[in-house]
Amino acid sequence: MVIDTQASDADLIVRSLAEPDLFTAVFDRHSAEILRYVYARLGPELAEDVTAETFLAAFRCRGRYDGAWSDARPWLYGIAVRQIRRHRRVEARRLRLLWSALADGPAPDHSDRVAERVTAQRLGPRLAAAVAALPPQDRELLLLFAWAGLSYAEAATALGTTTSAVKARLHRIRVRMRQELGDSNPMNEENDDE
Amino acid sequence: MSEINALREMRPAPSPAELEAMRMAARERFVAGTGSKRTRQRWRLPVLAGGLTAAAAATAATALVLTSGPGAVPGQHGTAGHTQTVVTAAWTVREDADGTVTIYLQQYANPAGLQRTLQADGINAIVRQIPSEPVTLGNQTVAWPTCNYTALTDAAPQAVQQAVWMHASAGQTLPVRFIIHPDAMPRGSALFLAFLAGMRRMPKNANTGVIALKPFVLKNDTVPACVPRAKKPLPTALPATKR
Repeated sequence: MVIDTQASDADLIVRSLAEPDLFTAVFDRHSAEILRYVYARLGPELAEDVTAETFLAAFRCRGRYDGAWSDARPWLYGIAVRQIRRHRRVEARRLRLLWSALADGPAPDHSDRVAERVTAQRLGPRLAAAVAALPPQDRELLLLFAWAGLSYAEAATALGTTTSAVKARLHRIRVRMRQELGDSNPMNEENDDE
Repeated sequence: MSEINALREMRPAPSPAELEAMRMAARERFVAGTGSKRTRQRWRLPVLAGGLTAAAAATAATALVLTSGPGAVPGQHGTAGHTQTVVTAAWTVREDADGTVTIYLQQYANPAGLQRTLQADGINAIVRQIPSEPVTLGNQTVAWPTCNYTALTDAAPQAVQQAVWMHASAGQTLPVRFIIHPDAMPRGSALFLAFLAGMRRMPKNANTGVIALKPFVLKNDTVPACVPRAKKPLPTALPATKR
């Protein structure tokens, strides 16, 4: 079998219906990214299992893949999100641990000139707590945006909704988080994202 | 800064080695789950085809230990469906049903045998020993003299380099594990592994920044001229381990 490395994901997935082995190329192309996301949400104990299950689920339902999506990442993230849902307790525990680690961590190093890191370190405990307090579906969307780096449109594909709905939900989530973080938070710029 | 950027900074991330180890384990599970039987036609000796292939296979046959089940690699848990394993005292080469090939390197020895085994396994491999003695190149004393691989024009694109992964213990000590994805190799390319011709104490001013053992994918099977040859060959006749 010869795999065209330039072939789109859609082409590989469609062709894999007749040649199942071709789907391994989809795994090789995207597994590192999916695994990083799963790792961030569930930790090292489950990252391998959930990643394998994500691609196996994708393999099994590849017949329903929309060939108009040349990039399979949003589709795969959507499957990964559904796999992660099965482990909500683990994620909740992990967020609590993250919160604790950040709360117990060293004071911000003010000599650090990387503003983002200093701000993240200062905000970390409250931010982690605010994320943990979000309803699961809101947390999914927020982390697809922040940790997976998906655009509004890609997140909409992953979650099976519309881009406008994603924008509205994300706005609502950010307003809520800012309320959770209090009025004194320094996160008042709107120049990021998308 | 927004909460989105702050969240990005907080994202837990594995080390590259940890990520790749987990990814490979997930890959094995995925391939086993799909029942995939990938072939490696694309990278099967495009350059070394013909008589040399047969000769290499015949030469390597004395070291071959064929297995059909898991557990052929010492200290490793069995994985579903691996097809062939060659075990010597210096290294083990395992071919899995998903087409990946894993080299477990225990000793820096018998590079010629390793090259023959890999070639017999369908991988266009070049295993070369290089001198470990410090040499002077211009104004620098260089230990493990070899090319600066990252600047090699002979190298395949960076994306292709990811087809070969090296897992080493801290400090690059043995054993070292290489995982090769032959399907990701372009036609005509070659896997280049450099062996150290013995480990010696390096002078304090030696530049040891070059990772001599880094596996590299070349655009073709011509070793770059900047790679030196060792004067004193490594031992070549290590017995195969019967299992």
